[in-house]
Amino acid sequence: MQHSKRLLCLFCFFAPVWLFAQINVSGTVVDSKDNPIQFATVKIHNSNQGTSTDANGKFRITLPSAGGALEVSFIGYKTQTVPVTGSLSDLIVRMQEDVGHMEEVIITGLASATKRGNLAHAVGTVSAKQLVGTTPQATVDAALYGKFPGAIVSANSGAPGGGISIKLRGVTSLVGNSQPLFIVDGVYYDNSSIQSGTNFISKAAGQGSTNFQDNPSNRVADLDPEDIERIEILKGASTSAIYGARAAAGVVIITTKKGRTGKPRVELGQSIGWQMQLKKLGQRSWDTSKVRAAFGANGIAVYNANEGRTFDYEDELYGNVGYMSNTRLSVSGGNEKTSYYAGVTYRDDEAIIKTTGYRKTSFRLNLDQNVAKFLDLSLNANYVESSADRGFFNNDNTSTTLGVSFVATPSWVNLYPDANGNYPNNPLAPSNFIQTRDLITNNEKVNRILLGGRATWTVFTKGGHDLKVIALGGLDKYTLTTTAIFPAVLQFQKDGNGTNGALIYGTTVANNTNFSALAVYELALDNDMRFTTQAGYNGFNVDLNTIVNTATQLIGTQTNLDQAGSIQVEQNKNISKDRGFFVQEEFNFKDMFIATLGLRGDKSSRNGDADKLYYYPKASAAFNILPLTSLKTFSLLKLRGAYGEAGNFAPFGAIYASLVPVNFSGTTGSIVDVTRGAGDLEPERQRELELGLDAGILNNRVGFEFTWYKKDVEDLILKVQTTGSGGFSTAWKNVAAIENKGVEISVNAVPVITKEWRWNTQANWWKNTARVTRLDVPPFNVGAFGASLGTYRIEKGKSPTQLVGVGDASDKVDPETNLAVFGNTEPDFNLAWSNNVTWNGFELNVLMHWKKGGDNINLSTLLSDIFGTSPDYDKRTLDPSGQLTDGPYRLAIQGATARPWIQDASYFRVRELGLSYTLPKIWFRDVARVRVGFSGRNLINVFDYNSYDPEVSNFGIDAISSNVEVTPYPSSKSFHFNVSVTF
Amino acid sequence: MKFQNKLYRLTALAVLFIAAGLPSCNVDPILDPNNPSITGITQNATIGELQNLVVGIEAGMRNNLNNQYDGISVIGREYYRYSTSDPRFTSELLGKGSAVLDNNTFYTTNPFNARYRVVKNTNILIEALQNTKATISDPQRKAAIAYAKTMQAHELLMVLNMQYENGIRVDVADPDNLGPFLSKDESLNAIQNLLNEANIDLKGNTVDLPFSTTLFSKNASEFSKFNRALAARVAVYRRDWNLANTALAESFLDLNGPLTDGAYYLFSTGGGDLLNPLFFPRNSPPAEARVVHPTFITDAEPGDTRLSKAPKRTSTASQDGLNSDYDFYVYPTNVASMPVIRNEELILIYAEVQAQLNNPTNAVDAINRIRNAASLPDYTGPTDLNSLITEILKQRRYSLFGEGHRWVDMRRYNRLNQLPIDRPGDDVWQQFPRPMTEL
Repeated sequence: MQHSKRLLCLFCFFAPVWLFAQINVSGTVVDSKDNPIQFATVKIHNSNQGTSTDANGKFRITLPSAGGALEVSFIGYKTQTVPVTGSLSDLIVRMQEDVGHMEEVIITGLASATKRGNLAHAVGTVSAKQLVGTTPQATVDAALYGKFPGAIVSANSGAPGGGISIKLRGVTSLVGNSQPLFIVDGVYYDNSSIQSGTNFISKAAGQGSTNFQDNPSNRVADLDPEDIERIEILKGASTSAIYGARAAAGVVIITTKKGRTGKPRVELGQSIGWQMQLKKLGQRSWDTSKVRAAFGANGIAVYNANEGRTFDYEDELYGNVGYMSNTRLSVSGGNEKTSYYAGVTYRDDEAIIKTTGYRKTSFRLNLDQNVAKFLDLSLNANYVESSADRGFFNNDNTSTTLGVSFVATPSWVNLYPDANGNYPNNPLAPSNFIQTRDLITNNEKVNRILLGGRATWTVFTKGGHDLKVIALGGLDKYTLTTTAIFPAVLQFQKDGNGTNGALIYGTTVANNTNFSALAVYELALDNDMRFTTQAGYNGFNVDLNTIVNTATQLIGTQTNLDQAGSIQVEQNKNISKDRGFFVQEEFNFKDMFIATLGLRGDKSSRNGDADKLYYYPKASAAFNILPLTSLKTFSLLKLRGAYGEAGNFAPFGAIYASLVPVNFSGTTGSIVDVTRGAGDLEPERQRELELGLDAGILNNRVGFEFTWYKKDVEDLILKVQTTGSGGFSTAWKNVAAIENKGVEISVNAVPVITKEWRWNTQANWWKNTARVTRLDVPPFNVGAFGASLGTYRIEKGKSPTQLVGVGDASDKVDPETNLAVFGNTEPDFNLAWSNNVTWNGFELNVLMHWKKGGDNINLSTLLSDIFGTSPDYDKRTLDPSGQLTDGPYRLAIQGATARPWIQDASYFRVRELGLSYTLPKIWFRDVARVRVGFSGRNLINVFDYNSYDPEVSNFGIDAISSNVEVTPYPSSKSFHFNVSVTF
Repeated sequence: MKFQNKLYRLTALAVLFIAAGLPSCNVDPILDPNNPSITGITQNATIGELQNLVVGIEAGMRNNLNNQYDGISVIGREYYRYSTSDPRFTSELLGKGSAVLDNNTFYTTNPFNARYRVVKNTNILIEALQNTKATISDPQRKAAIAYAKTMQAHELLMVLNMQYENGIRVDVADPDNLGPFLSKDESLNAIQNLLNEANIDLKGNTVDLPFSTTLFSKNASEFSKFNRALAARVAVYRRDWNLANTALAESFLDLNGPLTDGAYYLFSTGGGDLLNPLFFPRNSPPAEARVVHPTFITDAEPGDTRLSKAPKRTSTASQDGLNSDYDFYVYPTNVASMPVIRNEELILIYAEVQAQLNNPTNAVDAINRIRNAASLPDYTGPTDLNSLITEILKQRRYSLFGEGHRWVDMRRYNRLNQLPIDRPGDDVWQQFPRPMTEL
């Protein structure tokens, strides 16, 4: 019974009034200016019992007769602990603002968290307010731009439904996965982008590039941003090592909202908005001589037939003002044992091209249940249904996409249907884009269920020992249906063109599961030393099955697969199994010195040797040196360093040497794959070292974070061009290494706090430079469409993102390769500056983003030049001799130099702008909080780039070969009116 | 100490809980869920799998023929390939201005790799035939290997036609140990030898191949006639007129038979199958079109019915400073077959061989067979070798229009400088560069 005596002592120490009756406490929680704080959590220390404050900041709570301490917390404020020894009726708890967010708890292990002030590495965090507080967001990934340093978040096009690439700290892979691993409440969240198969029509993969360019969205778009409480971004191996073999591109940890003890809280929001084309380029103006020069006698005939009339096709195709609506309802609450959060969002966005748009319905239920004193259960469930009509864009080799057809058609051709609704053939190009826009379908539909469960068993909590066992499991199941319908009446499908109509129906069924079991043991020793030990194992199973049916020779306007003369099926399975374990030890001395050591071991069927364990170690240390100094102005001074390793697999299938099927004259056959598989592939390995300094001045009113990192990615896998005479065009090999070095600087400050005014500002600056440090194959060009139009080139000692091409006398041509370097897709730096100003009930938020440098390969210009339709065709700005106008000049040097197509893609834009006003509470009898506002996305854009938007990628999220533009779906800007009611 | 005991017990329990999951930590390899493996098929193929490899060869032969024929025909000034989505057809292929051929882009590498991919499949077929435990008689096995070698020789010849003086690799069975590049002449000899070797097991062998083929015949001795036709073509390229003569005699040459008899690449609208890659409907917009080089019309003799391959367009097609009023219309549908080798070529080879062997009468007879078929009167020109060759090259130009011969023919008679130049500064290339990956 020794321990119960100890326990008694403990109680006596903390609660001298233990013998008295129950204690009732009521009071008010206020901020430093005595304004009441609503929804602050008031909890009894070391228990699950608690409540939250009402609209007037008031609360009432009953403590056991032993008394104790109240823990009062609210986001953005330092947690206060108030000892309570007897009943109180008018306790005032004055919260101190956590201006530098040093109290913020950051997830650092699979089951542990650390105060930001104690972190040994830089972790990007985005709160719900930063994510959706300014303006409504269609997808989570699109909402991350500029909100933390160290990432290049880039939209592949303006197509509704997303398609965003997130690259953390430079180049992490060349052909492998370059997108971070998403984990939502412990569930591995699939972020595949699955091609819809419209390549069958566009034939984009063929002459210049073998990659599909179907412009798919990526599946993290299915997550509802409104459900998210916070996001933590582990940018490199030094932080993500504990996630092991799939973590080299970083990890994005998403935590969704939870219910809080107290009365039900209902939040209703409605926003309506409009989106429109971000930038109009205009059209070339024409006269007879220009028509003759560009289109010859045939063109003159068409021009005269239309009496020289012109049409504003840019407005016709891209000029739709899309109505957007977002409706939101959430209810949350709970008692001591149970808390719940339920949220529903319905979003319906029209887009800037008629017949395109995005619709999403999301429902979430998060439940937390305290089953017994030692057992907590939680369940997260999410159901999403979405539908995106994405138009038909990007590169093609058939002049059928809306984009290519648009630039191929001069404004004096009449493409409008006659009174009977019959569309004329485009006399100058294989397709009529108005007909195509009106009659085709290219839709992505998703049904997705996400289930996550967690059981936490507190084995014991006694005398500084604390052992927990946690089991968690997750299920991510979805069906993605892609529907592309190209009816037989289309110009490029009828009369022997094309295949007399085509249906391309794809279905992907994803069935991914993950589970972990882990133990966390915390040991606090008397002399302010704490040890946290954790160990566990982890499993992840992927099962993706994609079937694409392509039916041609359609009967009439039928859209059933069996109403077709010919049908082709493709199936692609992606099955893998990962198993791993991890151990981690954290040591904390007086919050002054914090060190962590960890190790993860992973096996996977994605490796050539499935049963081989690969180890990923990590170590980090943070040293709060302020107590050792006598600096008075500082409130924090911390040095930190971290090292870690993480892995990345070869693309699926790379380890297999296989024969692929062919269909021929009604029979089937096998032929060697164009790519040679390699059973001995090793996973890519990233080693990252990060050093940093954090400082806080004036009670953290000014915070400063400096981080330097060096990230080496080794054993990079490449699909290298191989000697074609061996029978394979390409082969998978571990052949390269890349070094990324970068700096991230973050400054946040609260320059103004007065009774009425408050100004919060944060600036993030970051820069990355990459260099190929090993290359076992000869330097080679990769991505885009070959050296005459500009391409990437992987070359030892050079940046992996350099853009090269053939060059003429005015370029610096390497005499050996005949190539000149024309640019680099990597920006010189990024600067994001966000500001939040409040004045009484008003709140203004502005997020600005400046990307300096970084180039694109712009082939939209090339195509519109060839068709003589470039808006700047007749300007005279390029030819040094002043003889040719811009279009002819670019064409004249085409083939001799790639210079005209590689263009600076710098931009400055106001990504988000929001002004809101919280109506006086008294109007609603203190019951409800009503906020109204106006907001906008991308309202101000400044760039020289010669197209719709410098943020573009014809090849989607591919690691290398982004930043290539071929007639994309143009980007849009939007503005919104928002109302939210909370009660 | 009770607390300590309890602590140990609980800890043990927790450890057990974790340990319970460890056995599931084994990861078995997952076989390719999407495709059969190469090793499986070379070790012990079934008859069905052998057939699959054959279909793979005959289907794969058609891959990238568009780039192959466009390259050869555009440089040979037979037609223009207009493509606004890829302007290099009218710039680099025609040597516009300072533009040169790229050694690492589609028109160079795609046909090269596509042909060698089929060569790889033939090598896999040979290995599979050597190792298979399926019931195949020895003559069948030999004939089947001979089939594979014949196809391999054809594909290598296609590569050599584009690479010419660069030469090619012939020994490519092991991708990790590729044989050397042979000179042009050595390459041609090696191809000839491959065909001759194969023919030993085909000629007079009455068995059927253990699989079906869409090329000529399933019967070994019949297939030998296809082999000999190819051998005659190679012999002519090698200027080995005697060998060409004997090969012709053993081939399916029929001076009086239909000109279209022969072996073909087949196309269909079947699911997953390929359409004729050279087909465009008539009067296609100039953005994507093949239009005939104007000299094909202007150089023709009046009344030549072979001009039906180049019907007049309703409007002139212009691009990049080039103009044409005529469509390339050798293939009138998108499923029209394309010849691998056919009787009309064999008759013209016969004419050439006879001219070279100094039998002008035979040569003129063969020429007239071709001329009459095109509704042209008999040849009345001089019968010296040079004149006959000029006439034969002309008949080849019209008879085999767009079938990949013009450039090759002009080159082997050193007459590339006679090909027309359309724009000042244009070039006629002798060959495609050796692909960068082979350097």
